[in-house]
Amino acid sequence: MFELIRPDTHYDFIGKWKYCVAGSIAIILLGLAAIPVIGIRWGIDFVGGTEVQVHFAEGVVTDEARIRDAVQSVGVGEPSVVRYGEADSSPGFLIRFQSGAEDQGAEQNQIVDRIQQALVQQVGALSVDRVEYVGPKVGAELRRAGVKSMLIAFALILVYVGLRFSAQFAPGGVIALIHDVLVTSSIWLLCGQQFDLQVLAALLALIGYSINDTIVIFDRIREVMGIHTAQDLPSVINQAINQTLSRTILTSGATLLAVIALVLVGGEVIFPFAATMAIGIVVGSYSTVYIASPIMLLLTDRKKAGESKVPAKAKKNGKPAKARA
Amino acid sequence: MSGSRWRVAGVVASLLLFGWYTLANFFPASVRQDSSWLPDKAIRLGLDLQGGIHWVLGPDLAVAIEHELDVLRASLQETLTEKKVTPARIAVENGQLIVDAVSPQDTATIREIAIETKVLGIARTEGNLLAFKLTPAWEREVRDRSVEQMLEVIRRRVDDPIQGIPESVVTRQGDDRVLVQIPGGQLDREQARNLLQQTGFLEFKIVLDEAPTEELLRKRHADGLPADTVIVFEKEKGSDRVLSAYLVPKAANLTGESLTDARSGMDPRYGWIVNFTFNSDGATKFGKLTGDNIGKRLAILLDGQVYSAPSLQTRIGGGRGFIHGRFDSDSAAELSVILRAGSLPVPMKIEEERTIGPALGADSIRSGIWASLLGFGLVAAFAMIYYRLSGVYATAGLLANVVLLLGVMGMSGATLTMPGIAGLVLTVGMAIDANVIIYERIRDELRAGKLPRAAIRTGFNKAFWTVMDANITTLLAGLVLFQYGTGPIKGFAVTLCIGIITSVYTALVIPRLLFEFYPGNRPVQTLSI
Repeated sequence: MFELIRPDTHYDFIGKWKYCVAGSIAIILLGLAAIPVIGIRWGIDFVGGTEVQVHFAEGVVTDEARIRDAVQSVGVGEPSVVRYGEADSSPGFLIRFQSGAEDQGAEQNQIVDRIQQALVQQVGALSVDRVEYVGPKVGAELRRAGVKSMLIAFALILVYVGLRFSAQFAPGGVIALIHDVLVTSSIWLLCGQQFDLQVLAALLALIGYSINDTIVIFDRIREVMGIHTAQDLPSVINQAINQTLSRTILTSGATLLAVIALVLVGGEVIFPFAATMAIGIVVGSYSTVYIASPIMLLLTDRKKAGESKVPAKAKKNGKPAKARA
Repeated sequence: MSGSRWRVAGVVASLLLFGWYTLANFFPASVRQDSSWLPDKAIRLGLDLQGGIHWVLGPDLAVAIEHELDVLRASLQETLTEKKVTPARIAVENGQLIVDAVSPQDTATIREIAIETKVLGIARTEGNLLAFKLTPAWEREVRDRSVEQMLEVIRRRVDDPIQGIPESVVTRQGDDRVLVQIPGGQLDREQARNLLQQTGFLEFKIVLDEAPTEELLRKRHADGLPADTVIVFEKEKGSDRVLSAYLVPKAANLTGESLTDARSGMDPRYGWIVNFTFNSDGATKFGKLTGDNIGKRLAILLDGQVYSAPSLQTRIGGGRGFIHGRFDSDSAAELSVILRAGSLPVPMKIEEERTIGPALGADSIRSGIWASLLGFGLVAAFAMIYYRLSGVYATAGLLANVVLLLGVMGMSGATLTMPGIAGLVLTVGMAIDANVIIYERIRDELRAGKLPRAAIRTGFNKAFWTVMDANITTLLAGLVLFQYGTGPIKGFAVTLCIGIITSVYTALVIPRLLFEFYPGNRPVQTLSI
């Protein structure tokens, strides 16, 4: 048998929950703190705007500044111009700008044609690879629908996990999911990447996928609980995590392999999706071990403490759980 | 073992069926349709892969409302003239109908008349000045009418058998949008814009003769059609079947240029009718045309095709008239849309655009294929290195999963987008998870001292619900995404959802069957896992 992780590990995962929770909160706080500094880079999907991807004919020598000048010459304010692709012989550029005033749809559409003309005249022959325009109304709708779908996905999974397991398990799983989305988003934000529909799709898929490991561990906790009724919960959980550790790492690792293939050779079109998913899978496995189970333990402790009417203990144990929730 | 023989038969049959559909995806549509053994249906490539124009159009409400107010202004003015009320000024400004009356009595009269229309509401008053705007209900009506008109006009243009664009899609999206997709490099953006925004050509012609088919009509004029006449057709909606052939003059008696409005309405005598309004020039011509031809039929042609040919009962004067003729609410609304479509420019604007050049689409296909192969290769290599023979079984399951996934997508004519390819790769990565869970369980059982056969059975049984749970949650997220997503993202949701279902089947069934072949009933002491 080829074993990456020996089956008889006895790591104390539960004992380190405070550091892990603190670490996760730190990343989320760092992400939040970064918002006023670097700002959230929303894709045009959510805020409206125009994105034009062009590449010049072979031999055209140019740079961002010249493109920006040409684009501004047709009356577009503050375009962002980014070079992409390695091929220096036929340089490619991504031009982004916010839409003008409301109700400019038809004009917006023609602006792209005017930009194309200006670039041909001032820089050189080119072809337009992609034009994306999202009007302010559509952007607002996509934003609303995005938030809604995220909440619905959380709710559905909460209900499902609640039905399949006891109410004792569900909150831990869903809090771990919220954790995954927040931490992944924070990392994405800190990398200076933008949030668009693809990233949202990746986060949604992640919500569905990331709970899988958690289910495996919860299943095992339940099983161990049934066998060793006398054991206290922390050691049951530790035992379950240790027993399923290889599975947690192997499943995520295998999926990560497929996603890494997408990151490496999938091309720039799909990069935001693939990269978000890759980060999310790693974050998801971490949270399965270090976040979901401790939360479950905390919630259970608090309940038990309440039943045995020891207010001091209840208060003490209740606090961290509240802070996380 | 007969139970398992049935299972083998089932698996083989499903693989053959879906393999057949998967195979079809590798042939171009023309080959598929000509061939007698390939299914017609196959996966469609999304616009992001084949390139093309994707527009979501919305009505330009400001323009539509302005036009509506203009029509209301004309009719209000007419009523005021009848009542001998002459306002100092009556005009449409900034989406409001402004009436400047000369006396308080006039103001009261005007207000009363306007409110009675039930479509105008007071926006503000200032002394004798009244500003009206459309009531919210009527504004919605205007919006709906604009969307209907857009849909009708665009559909007609794009579906036109001669100048139309093959494979294009025109559908309503939500309440007030129209989605237009023009695949491939058939039109550039400017051509597409011109095609969509030009107005249709509306003509009115007096019918000289008619017959159910062209043949019959020609037979009646065996020695040649009369000079300067032409045969036109009325066709069944949505098909090429000719309902009637009409002999009409070559030159139009009247064109749509002079039409200012058309809408459906109710008449106590005729039921559903279509009201229309001409400008003063058109009114004079139309009055004469109808007065001279009472008893004949008037063909209404849009871009050379007859849409309706009502018979003229009376002279229609005053530039206002109506067409009746066994309409129901739908057909009356439709004719009014056609009349407007042929006379008015469509006030629309682009709300969303996602246009991809064919070169970028081809690039995406290439990198999509490479990513799929590499993803599959990495996952398969991991499985075979880590689980040896059992890993080979799992890889067989993965392969079957891809065949089923592509087969199901082809069978249902689903659209594959770039995110859809990502979904496929992701599915491969997630499909192996089920095998890992099962195999790790089997290893646990082996460590506990069970013999291979028993370990395999327990492993599959105990892991079953874990695998189901894990996939159901992902499916839930996929369904939410399907509900929410549009275009490429929807393509991702489609492959993800189908892939999850097929992967559960293949991961649970295929390796299990292979285990029955080897080790099967053999009393082996070790298992290659």
